[in-house]
Amino acid sequence: MTRHRALGFIVGGAAVAVIACWQSTSVTAQAPAGAPAYRAPRTAAGQPDLQGVWRAWNLAKYDLEDHGAKPGVPAGRGFVVDPPDGKIPYQPWALEKRKQLLTKIHEADPYKNSDPLAKCYLPGIPRLTYLGWPFQIIQTPQYVAFNYEWSHKKRYVPVTQVPPPPSPDDQTNWNGIPRGRFDGNTLVVNLTNFNAYTWFDMAGNFHSDALKVTERYIPIGPDTLRYEATMEDPKVFTRPWTIRMELQRQKDTPILDYECTAMFDELGIHHTWPRDFDVE
Amino acid sequence: MTVRVRVAVSFLLAVLVVTPALVAAQESVGSDSAAARALQREVAAVKAGGPVPRRADGKPDLTGNWNPTLGFLSHTVILEDHPGGFGIQAGKSLIIDPPDGIIPYLPAALAERNRRRDDANGYEDQVGHCEFYSMARIHQFTQEIMHSGNSVIINATQHITRVIPLDRKEHLPANIRLWLGDPIGRWEGDTLVVDSTNFNDRTRMALGGDFHGPDVHIVERFTMKDSNTIDWTIRFDDPKTYSRPWTMTSAKPMTRVRPVGNEIFDAEDTCHEGNVDLIHLKGVYDLAHGKDTPLLKK
Repeated sequence: MTRHRALGFIVGGAAVAVIACWQSTSVTAQAPAGAPAYRAPRTAAGQPDLQGVWRAWNLAKYDLEDHGAKPGVPAGRGFVVDPPDGKIPYQPWALEKRKQLLTKIHEADPYKNSDPLAKCYLPGIPRLTYLGWPFQIIQTPQYVAFNYEWSHKKRYVPVTQVPPPPSPDDQTNWNGIPRGRFDGNTLVVNLTNFNAYTWFDMAGNFHSDALKVTERYIPIGPDTLRYEATMEDPKVFTRPWTIRMELQRQKDTPILDYECTAMFDELGIHHTWPRDFDVE
Repeated sequence: MTVRVRVAVSFLLAVLVVTPALVAAQESVGSDSAAARALQREVAAVKAGGPVPRRADGKPDLTGNWNPTLGFLSHTVILEDHPGGFGIQAGKSLIIDPPDGIIPYLPAALAERNRRRDDANGYEDQVGHCEFYSMARIHQFTQEIMHSGNSVIINATQHITRVIPLDRKEHLPANIRLWLGDPIGRWEGDTLVVDSTNFNDRTRMALGGDFHGPDVHIVERFTMKDSNTIDWTIRFDDPKTYSRPWTMTSAKPMTRVRPVGNEIFDAEDTCHEGNVDLIHLKGVYDLAHGKDTPLLKK
């Protein structure tokens, strides 16, 4: 029982804050598409200046699709803007697999819980963006650095010409391998080389190691970024699909810290389970 | 298959960083490995430093990758004078004040340090859990320093990133406690001074159990000597743990090295994901403390 509460605390810690921002969330979800007229300030190197602390104040972490209330989860609108029906275009077998995965998202023991985040594993991209914790963008002429408050994780996105990623046969990452570029106002990040162990949200939405993601960070005002991510994975989906949401600038507080595994220790949960990722 | 390799690497790192006996293995690998030889070539290739590079505001430009050991990894366990052995290189104390090179613990704190130093309690070291290195442990790693707006950013391995504002005056409220503290930077002449408070009580400075309390006040000084060299000192003031403030430096001056290819773009900070060795550390701990252990059941 204690363990169950503990787990809820770890994976759903920001629930109260999210509920408190419920109203702004619906506005975010309904933000209209279209070319933004706003032109971001430029860095000394002439690139759009995206620097600062950003946060997704929305319900995407729970479920990317329209959903009713579930235990601990507020009902909410989805974030899938393509296909137009707002549903992730799963192949039939994959829809079945999602059902299976959902039977184990309430397991109190992190090892038995199907959600990789319950074990504090790297959440993957795009999930890390809207997990509920803020992140800071720092730019140099060569790369855009993302520093995440969640477990102090960081990634570097090159925006100049660098050699392509190694073959996925040689290297796969939890967060994929990024290659970026600026397209006018927009930072475009192409991600490949994913492993098959991350999810998109807490609702069992998953992918395979064939996943490719294209992220777009589009400044649409001094304190707002539009965030889009397009997922392609011919092993799991029938077609590419896209989510869209807005990220708000956090002005009052720098990024602090949230060391996920330390929360296990604090709650007396030993994270000594086997890590054999080759076995389903 | 790829995953298995990466998991194995993470596992190896966890073991090497945590277990003193295996750190010994790391040390002996340290001087011979391809990586160490590459680092030594990098360092040898660096020409004698030129004038200190400067930014538009006239202050030194610290941008670059800086290595504070030059492959001479000798202080992963003990920061004070220590003999070599079991593959660990002998090392002179990193403590430059007090002059005797000994951390001036209060008696109760020294007893606690010695309790932590006991291998039987190694499971308690947060780094074995893939949690945060302490500020003092950063002196083992290459650090990347960059300037951005009114901040200095310092990145090191294993998800250590510090964003140090130069324009903030006051630290965060005392009840916000952070693994790397709350750093605020300022210039004193050509020296970057980083003042940090608001720590938690969970980090250790080395495998040998050295520690500071949560109310420690840490001041680091980065002084650029020439375009390829930074002198770094770190001062600990914690009257609840030490009888007087004390100051440490890195094994070697921080020396400019070149970043390695695409590594920063293609690698990622995984550790916990492949930390299969934690169960063994816990087994050692449980055995030593008379508890049941899954290791005995196998």
